[in-house]
Amino acid sequence: MSNNSVRVASMKRKQTTGNIVAYIVLIVISIIWLTPFVCLVLQSFISRAEFMSTSEVYLIPKTWSLDNYAYLFSKDCNFVRWYINTLVIATFVSIIQTAIVLCVSYALSRMRFAGRTFLMKFWLILGMFPGFLTMICLYFILREMGLTQAGAVPGLILVGTASSGMGYYVCKGFFDTIPKALDEAARIDGASRARIFAIITLPMAKPIVIYTALVAFMAPWCDYVFASYVAFGYSKSYNVAVGLQNWVWTNDYQGFFTRFCAGGLLVAIPVTILFMALQKYYVEGVTGGAVKG
Amino acid sequence: MNGKKRKNSGGIGGFFRGIGTGCANIVKIFAEGDWMTKVSFLIMGFGCFVRKAWLRGIAFLAVEIAYITYMVTFGWKYLKDIGTLGVVESVKQRGGKIIYGDNSFFILLFGIVSIILTILFIVVWVINVHEQKNEEEILKKGKRMPYVSEDFATLLDKHFDKTLLTIPVLGVFIFTVVPIIFMICVAFTNYDKNHQSPANLFTWVGFENFAKLLNFGSGGFGSTFLSVLGWTLIWAFFATFLNYFLGMGVAILINKKGIKFKKMWRTILVLTIAVPQFVSLLYIYKMFTADGLVNSYLIAWGIIEKGNEIPFWTNPTLARIMIIVVNLWIGIPYLMLVATGILMNIPDDLYEAARIDGANSWQMFKSITLPYMLFVTGPYLLTSFTGNINNFNVIFLLTQGKPLSNSLAENAGRTDLLVTWLYKMTVQDTNYRMAAVLGILVFAVVAIISLVVYNMLPSVKDEEGFQ
Amino acid sequence: MRKTNKLLATSLVAAMAVSAFAGCSKSGDTTTTTTAGGSSSNTTTAAPVETTEAPASYGEGTITIWVAENVVDFTKEYAQKFINSNEAYKGYTVDVQPVGEGEAASNMITDVQSGADIYGFAQDQLARLVSASAIASLSEADQAWVEAQNDAGAAAAACVGDWAYAYPMTSDNGYFLYYDKSVVTDASTLEGILKQCEDAGKNFYMEVNGGWYNTAFFFGTGCELTYESDTDGNFTKCNVNYASDNGVVAFKEIIDTVASKAFQNGSSVSNATNLAAIVDGTWDANAAKEVFGDNYACAKLPTFTGSDGNTYQMSGFGGFKLLGVKPQEDDLKLAMCNLLAQYLTSEEVQLARYEAVGWGPSNKAAQTSEAVKADEALAALAEQLAFTIPQGQYPDGYWSRATALVDDVITGVITQSTSDSDLMGYLESFQNDCISYAE
Repeated sequence: MSNNSVRVASMKRKQTTGNIVAYIVLIVISIIWLTPFVCLVLQSFISRAEFMSTSEVYLIPKTWSLDNYAYLFSKDCNFVRWYINTLVIATFVSIIQTAIVLCVSYALSRMRFAGRTFLMKFWLILGMFPGFLTMICLYFILREMGLTQAGAVPGLILVGTASSGMGYYVCKGFFDTIPKALDEAARIDGASRARIFAIITLPMAKPIVIYTALVAFMAPWCDYVFASYVAFGYSKSYNVAVGLQNWVWTNDYQGFFTRFCAGGLLVAIPVTILFMALQKYYVEGVTGGAVKG
Repeated sequence: MNGKKRKNSGGIGGFFRGIGTGCANIVKIFAEGDWMTKVSFLIMGFGCFVRKAWLRGIAFLAVEIAYITYMVTFGWKYLKDIGTLGVVESVKQRGGKIIYGDNSFFILLFGIVSIILTILFIVVWVINVHEQKNEEEILKKGKRMPYVSEDFATLLDKHFDKTLLTIPVLGVFIFTVVPIIFMICVAFTNYDKNHQSPANLFTWVGFENFAKLLNFGSGGFGSTFLSVLGWTLIWAFFATFLNYFLGMGVAILINKKGIKFKKMWRTILVLTIAVPQFVSLLYIYKMFTADGLVNSYLIAWGIIEKGNEIPFWTNPTLARIMIIVVNLWIGIPYLMLVATGILMNIPDDLYEAARIDGANSWQMFKSITLPYMLFVTGPYLLTSFTGNINNFNVIFLLTQGKPLSNSLAENAGRTDLLVTWLYKMTVQDTNYRMAAVLGILVFAVVAIISLVVYNMLPSVKDEEGFQ
Repeated sequence: MRKTNKLLATSLVAAMAVSAFAGCSKSGDTTTTTTAGGSSSNTTTAAPVETTEAPASYGEGTITIWVAENVVDFTKEYAQKFINSNEAYKGYTVDVQPVGEGEAASNMITDVQSGADIYGFAQDQLARLVSASAIASLSEADQAWVEAQNDAGAAAAACVGDWAYAYPMTSDNGYFLYYDKSVVTDASTLEGILKQCEDAGKNFYMEVNGGWYNTAFFFGTGCELTYESDTDGNFTKCNVNYASDNGVVAFKEIIDTVASKAFQNGSSVSNATNLAAIVDGTWDANAAKEVFGDNYACAKLPTFTGSDGNTYQMSGFGGFKLLGVKPQEDDLKLAMCNLLAQYLTSEEVQLARYEAVGWGPSNKAAQTSEAVKADEALAALAEQLAFTIPQGQYPDGYWSRATALVDDVITGVITQSTSDSDLMGYLESFQNDCISYAE
């Protein structure tokens, strides 16, 4: 008996030391993960004037200044316009893409029709081509439709959603797990496929709908390459990624780096809040996706 | 196209045999059919009209009219030149006036579209012919034709798949299939900065571009291609497996019994997923430049000496390590989420049993957690590997493929992946011909890896496995 | 980006540029039939709209202009002023977009039809633009105007073959030295500058891996690298002798410079850290003034003592910024664009542009303005330009190839211990690649 209690005690001790180590590791990891963001926030308060007047790099602003933020909202800068563009693109892409993915997933999961396997294999093969390959061709297709330059925003929505049917894996995997017996029962009661989809499947698919919408919403914020191609020098059609990236890469924008930090922060905040709020669904989606492959 | 292919799974021979029988069937339908069916061979849907299946009749006729209109007014003028991709040169006058000649780009693009539409039209025509035969039989048996409303109703029930899939398939077709076919064709042309539409023409050159990419002599890209491919594979390997194991480790750490604030740790980590990469990665790039924040502070704190700045991005090996490490920063949280979800699915009694047998935590990890994870996420690892081969953002935002080197051709850098090299060729050098070849080779690499690995996966071999 | 910058020309530049450049109309105004895209295309010298009588109206539409970000407002103002100046122009509206010079040229080549009607670019892009037919040739009258108004170097830079294709906007795109005179007291030798920076624990910046900047070394030791192009903008010949003893001397000097503790690779004042001296152009003059404050100073590039014991003056490029008009199918719009481009590069606007943003005029009359003459940075540039070669046309491949050459030095593949014969090997392969771009 006493022997046993010693063992329990030693295990407890072992667990405590283990936990201390774990805490230390977690704290170190957190510091590493947070440092760049903290630096970004700090530097965003260094005004351009201060940034230009010295050739040192440092984190803590000598004078805390909101100049960069003021500039972003001033009329000299298209930032607000870029922001709205991106928001519009992200919202539409999110809605349309989710609808398309749901349709495709339902059809592939629940229905058996001629060409089903062929379609799935064909899309799998298509997905193996690198996306940038077709960029120039897509650009000219869009241009012929009048959806570049001034029309870049609808153009990007179109390109962002047109091929979204190919990303059905996660959602189809989820539908596969909804018992077919439910459908069968409804069919016996005389419900059509469309009705079953709307009344039975969709309500049960809430997590995957949110996951799909969230992922689709986040992608356009990062689209630099194709967005800059489609805007083709028309600055009012830029999205935030194109606009802000120019400030870092091109010499034309002297001393815009801290403004970039401020702009980046303003972009990151809402996306991050949204992500955090819907994190639960995101976890469900990625886990499901990883398990289904 | 799909219909024929599916029924005859006997490879190419079967495919042609299928076409043969298909043709024979059509001849038979013509010979045995009534006059309405015969007219329908020329005027599609004619039989349907006479038999009062209005909806189908209108659909068939509309397809025919649309196709003919397209070809006459638009398609043919491009299709007829597809052999040469245009011969009429642009006329450039002193003073800047230009009269554009043939546009090779659109001849190729719309030529391809016309060919595809023609194939689709033939398919619809064949369906039309079979439809006539079916209708004949229905009437012969004394049944009535379905009403229009019934036809519509099937679109929400029996044929609901067609309703659901039409737009998605069309979208993929126009914005993925057509461009891919187009770019595959470009690989066989001389479309580059000296042959740019609309002012200049380009034309077919056969396998010249492939020869150039795989030529290991001077002027060829062969050794550069291999070098970039090598790094692409190394990168994909580390980006996939390091992330995987470290992510799993962090997940286990956070889920450890007795660790508090689990939610907080997770939230801190997933920040890197939430913040758009162009913000976080560009910032990190700037932090680590030779004269950036990190080096400056290291000098200020006396850790390194001025002049011995750490060449994070300029030393090729270090730059590669940096890229992989920064990618961990982005990838670990993602894997942590995945692993957390899966770990919770492992039945507790498995661990319980192991504990009774006196296994320590390492043994339990080795013989329960790891095999389970690997089994369940095998396919995911594969897709993530191929995804990393095409991972553009991390490289582009961090190094843009730099540094370049004397030993690499055509603007390729030491940290370039095949896909960033492809990007440079397309955007910076407008060398579309070589970019197309490279794209095809990237596809080949991904396809081969997928095919080989997929068949080796335990979860594919043994579907029951852990269940 | 490299070479997308601006500098100032002075009469000195003009004088030397004349001798170095064969003006484009040297063969007179003979009617030449050029070939486009390799086979026969009828090119006529008839200038369709060059009638003496101006039309009552130039039609209507939008003229898109692409210029660098800092002159967008300026360009907008003056373009609008021009349109308002004449009833015949009023059908047009102007849309000015901030598109940097490098991106403008690439975009124009990618898709001419969606590109801007008028755009600014650095002179080295001209051949590319001509060969892609992304730029309109000037009529004889307009070419004569360009030659009369601008310094000879600028006028020559606007030509490919015998024809002019663009309106010079600034004389020139070159570089010299900015430094902090409290740190660098003697800016006459490169070794001295590096030593003083090292001692002070400060940085010396030069973008040695840029094909635009590293010619300072190679041309300095007497090496040559120029291209010849035909009327269509295709490169026909490369004159290069980097793979020579002089080339090795220059290459070794680059290696020694990179090895200095003070060296940093870069050419942007605002992105520089701990800056004591930088090789840069006039576009950074204001930024340099802000950083250095009272210690602001500038000078021509220093000399260096090569491994062979000789002293060489650093050289480099002198280039120009041009304004191009896109080829049009509509005669009237083309005429309108030409008029507007002419106005935007006229004496009046060039002077105003100098006053607004400090871009130095290529217009001969504007160059004689007192303000222009008194500019400190421009004086340093003028001094440097005596040692440079006027920048001609370079194929795209050259720039990335030159970066590759020196990137190997920065990454440590090539070091001070690399043998002369290996260095020669690198230069030979570089030279062969350069020659291969002109095929």
